[in-house]
Amino acid sequence: MKAGTELAGLDVLELAKAATVEALARTEVAFEDVGEVIWGNVTRPVAYHNLARELALALSLPPTAPAFTVGMACASACVAITTAADHVAAGTADLVVAGGSESLSNVPLEVGRKLSRALVRASQAKTLQARLSSFAGIRPGDLAPVASGIRETSTGLTMGESAERMAAINGITREAQDAWAYRSHALAAAGLADGRLAPEVGAVYLARGAVTSDNHVRRDTTIEKLAALRPVFDRAHGTITAGNASPLTDGGAAIVIASEERAKGLGLRPLAAIRSYAYAAVDPAGQLLLAPAYAIPVALRRAGLALGDVDLIEMHEAFAAQVLSTFKVLEENGAGRVDPDRVNVMGGSIALGHPFGATGARVLLTLARELARRGGRYGLASVCAAGGNGAAIVIENLTA
Amino acid sequence: MRPSVLYVPAAADGVARIVIDREDDRVNAIDQRMMEGFAAAVAAAKTDRPRAILLLSAKPDQFIGGADLNLVQSASETDIKAASEAIQRILADLAALPAVSVAAIGGAALGGGCEVALACDWRIAADAPAMRIGQVEIRAGLLPAGGGTQRLPRLVGLPRALDLILGSRQLDARRALRAGLVDEVVHPASLERAAVDRALRAGKREVRGGRTPLERAVTWLPPLRAYALRRARAEVAQQTRGHYPAPYRALEAIATGLAKGIAEGQAAEARAFGELAAGDIARSLLHLLVLTLGQRRAALRGLGTPREVRDLGIVGAGFMGAGIAQSAAVAGIAVRLRDVDAAAVARGIASAAKLTRDAAHKGIIDRREAPRVIARLSGGGDLVGFARAQVVIEAVFEDLAVKRTVIAELEAALPADTVIATNTSALPIAEIAAAAMHPERIIGMHFFSPVHRMPLVEVVRPSGASPDAVATVVALASAMGKIPIVVGDGPGFYTTRVISALSADAFALLAEGARVDEVDAAMTAFGWPVGPFTLADEVGLAVALHAGLTTARLRPPGGVPHLLAAMVAEGMQGKRNGTGFYLYAGKRKVPNPRVYELAGAAPRAAPAGTAERLTGAFVDEALRCLDLGILRSAEEGDLGAVLGLGFPPFLGGPFRYAAARGSTRTTPAA
Repeated sequence: MKAGTELAGLDVLELAKAATVEALARTEVAFEDVGEVIWGNVTRPVAYHNLARELALALSLPPTAPAFTVGMACASACVAITTAADHVAAGTADLVVAGGSESLSNVPLEVGRKLSRALVRASQAKTLQARLSSFAGIRPGDLAPVASGIRETSTGLTMGESAERMAAINGITREAQDAWAYRSHALAAAGLADGRLAPEVGAVYLARGAVTSDNHVRRDTTIEKLAALRPVFDRAHGTITAGNASPLTDGGAAIVIASEERAKGLGLRPLAAIRSYAYAAVDPAGQLLLAPAYAIPVALRRAGLALGDVDLIEMHEAFAAQVLSTFKVLEENGAGRVDPDRVNVMGGSIALGHPFGATGARVLLTLARELARRGGRYGLASVCAAGGNGAAIVIENLTA
Repeated sequence: MRPSVLYVPAAADGVARIVIDREDDRVNAIDQRMMEGFAAAVAAAKTDRPRAILLLSAKPDQFIGGADLNLVQSASETDIKAASEAIQRILADLAALPAVSVAAIGGAALGGGCEVALACDWRIAADAPAMRIGQVEIRAGLLPAGGGTQRLPRLVGLPRALDLILGSRQLDARRALRAGLVDEVVHPASLERAAVDRALRAGKREVRGGRTPLERAVTWLPPLRAYALRRARAEVAQQTRGHYPAPYRALEAIATGLAKGIAEGQAAEARAFGELAAGDIARSLLHLLVLTLGQRRAALRGLGTPREVRDLGIVGAGFMGAGIAQSAAVAGIAVRLRDVDAAAVARGIASAAKLTRDAAHKGIIDRREAPRVIARLSGGGDLVGFARAQVVIEAVFEDLAVKRTVIAELEAALPADTVIATNTSALPIAEIAAAAMHPERIIGMHFFSPVHRMPLVEVVRPSGASPDAVATVVALASAMGKIPIVVGDGPGFYTTRVISALSADAFALLAEGARVDEVDAAMTAFGWPVGPFTLADEVGLAVALHAGLTTARLRPPGGVPHLLAAMVAEGMQGKRNGTGFYLYAGKRKVPNPRVYELAGAAPRAAPAGTAERLTGAFVDEALRCLDLGILRSAEEGDLGAVLGLGFPPFLGGPFRYAAARGSTRTTPAA
């Protein structure tokens, strides 16, 4: 859901609870069978030092199940999932809940460093006088809250500015970006309408009613409407608009990962197997969101596959420019030409939204379900992340 | 057998211990032997002259659960009075010791157990779920008779003492601390150390009659005290309608003690205790108390092996379904709700969440536990998440066709060993399960409304039922904090059948011309919570008609509630739309004149003996249920009638009532 809308009243833990409860119900896994929780997240209130553990305890999952939170910006849930897969493969866990959640309606604000230091000093002070003098030197300007960073700390560029650079370097036109964005909305609308996408959306129950469907998919958008939007990040020469970028989003996604024996023992029918994965990183000063173009060939090689063997690709759409740049570089670096008809066949993050910590799980779930529906064999998911990281995961359909 | 009270002489630190551990009783109930042991321990302390005394239980999560019921149940009035005086003497001796005394309370300190703790200077409580403290005698038709009516007002002040004693309140550690009933709350592991520290650091306690000047003024200034007692007496009169003498006797003992001193107050206590305990009312209430306490175990007798329920599915997220879901979630069970759409599920979850927050607010559940309870509730428009459940409860509309459709849907989606419980108040389970593939796993589970407040669950066992499935449903009801009874199948089972017999007779009275408000008034004066016409209006006339029609098959022709049918046909719904046997305008209600027209009778005064006649119809039907094997036992019949239908508790239930009147045999059905 778009940030600031229907789910704005829920914090990141409540979104995590909703996604996990639904994932366990849909897999028919009982709470007490969960052995570990790994959760991805980017921003959260300071009280949730370890959001995964808060989640496990809030749901009364077995208190003996370890739980930890992982972070790789927008690829956080990918890390949760591949870590879970590693634990299962190594035999250190046999049934893991992995996922992520993000509430961009509730981004915690920090106080500035000077005020923060003063508050800590005051809390340690023994006398009232010492407590008061802790605040000496604090100016009114120091009282303003600081929002968590939207700029790359190493380059000082916002995500959008970085994407503008990628568009320019790879020669991705405004028209091509708008066309991809239009495609994202149109395919997402179709997927929700014809019942392919809707079943992976779980209702969230609020006191005032149920929230049951995405609210960012623009069923009525047109190329013309998209073309009419003004560039946001580079008003003079830019190509990136609110229409061809992913929106600020509230949401959560969860996946249950189990060993084959455990799944059999519980009488579960697995959807897909994780075959391989790879992480790659690039210098943020270059093309910030290009790492998947390097992770994908490695993941494919580890699975013993070529790009052409993959029936379906889910690629996180931070920006249309980033997706199209990734295609171009994949081709340039010899991985092969991506068939766009196999990519994001029910739209992507531009239409469906991008709750940072959750996106990796959302992308993988969409991929696995559509792969099963189509009866394909191999699927590929990729997610780019702030800081120049990127993830790629190869799965195999087990329902065929 | 080793002694149940042990005196451990003072160690180097000067602290002696009185250790309570009754070998043959889990809750350390006070019996004759324990009293003797206490007397010996106090005598030993007198000669040992320790600096301080610790009073504690050797059972880690139990203090003293109360007096042994054998002490009062079979004894004569004189013996009971003597026992009360003996306890008073022992505790007075304990209190009079020069040593500082500290009670270390790790578990339930109820009734006599609370009085033992009150006789000490200080009380330290463990912060543990098992720790509860209070004078709970009034609920059993008795009064605190070990000095409780004297020491409690002096410790916490009269206003609070009245509330605690008359309300039979049991407080958890934090509430007891707030009330001033205990002086400190610590982790169970630190209990003994904290008690020793207190014993060594604190002096003898001077009780002052309350913490605030106002509390002390109400306790000690005669006009204010008289006002507080008058207020309390008026409230008691309103609640008991004159059927329960115990609260009046407690008020009398408290008033006497504060006016004339502890000795006279204790004498009043002992006298009242003897009279009450030997009387029918306390014996009826004790009968019910003993049955209630033992019923969770007794209900499983003769059944199969219960399966633990960790996941529960509920079909129907309406008022009933939401109430059931909430009770289950409080019990730690993960609940999946299904209804027609997400909006209906949202309403159900919202209403269960509200019940949970209210319960947390009232302290019934822990404040931090409330969000975890709510997090156990989820659902949707389909049966996703139901296959992992051990039990699925169907709580849809009372309509045979609808229920059968749901059963068919469930059987298609669930593994063959999932128990299906159907929540119906009247429909025979065999008819609901008639077309089922596995009728043996379909069990009746009749909840009473509102679920979060009504303690009874009537488990209906059709003839072909799997014993394990029945046991599973019984154990589930117990886990949900309910008291289950197990009854046979048939229209109306037990509870709806007996209440319908009463209602049918009430309709007959109405046809003879009795005024509805007078019939209802006669019933409440007799001790029923509401009369039959108010009841019908409150449950809704359509529901009442459904129950009436379903159970009418059991009765001779004429049993069909034609009047009710005519009222429903005219669009009357009862309280819900303001028109039923009464017309409702705000808080006021007046008899509906149209009812007399439909009944074809001019309203006249209700005949004398109306309540006895209607209660008799109820009791006759109950006796018949036992004869027919619908009831397993008279005891379950008593429990079901009192807990489910509000049969006057001071009568002990229909079977005890019948036995007391010498009519244990049923009149043959016409």
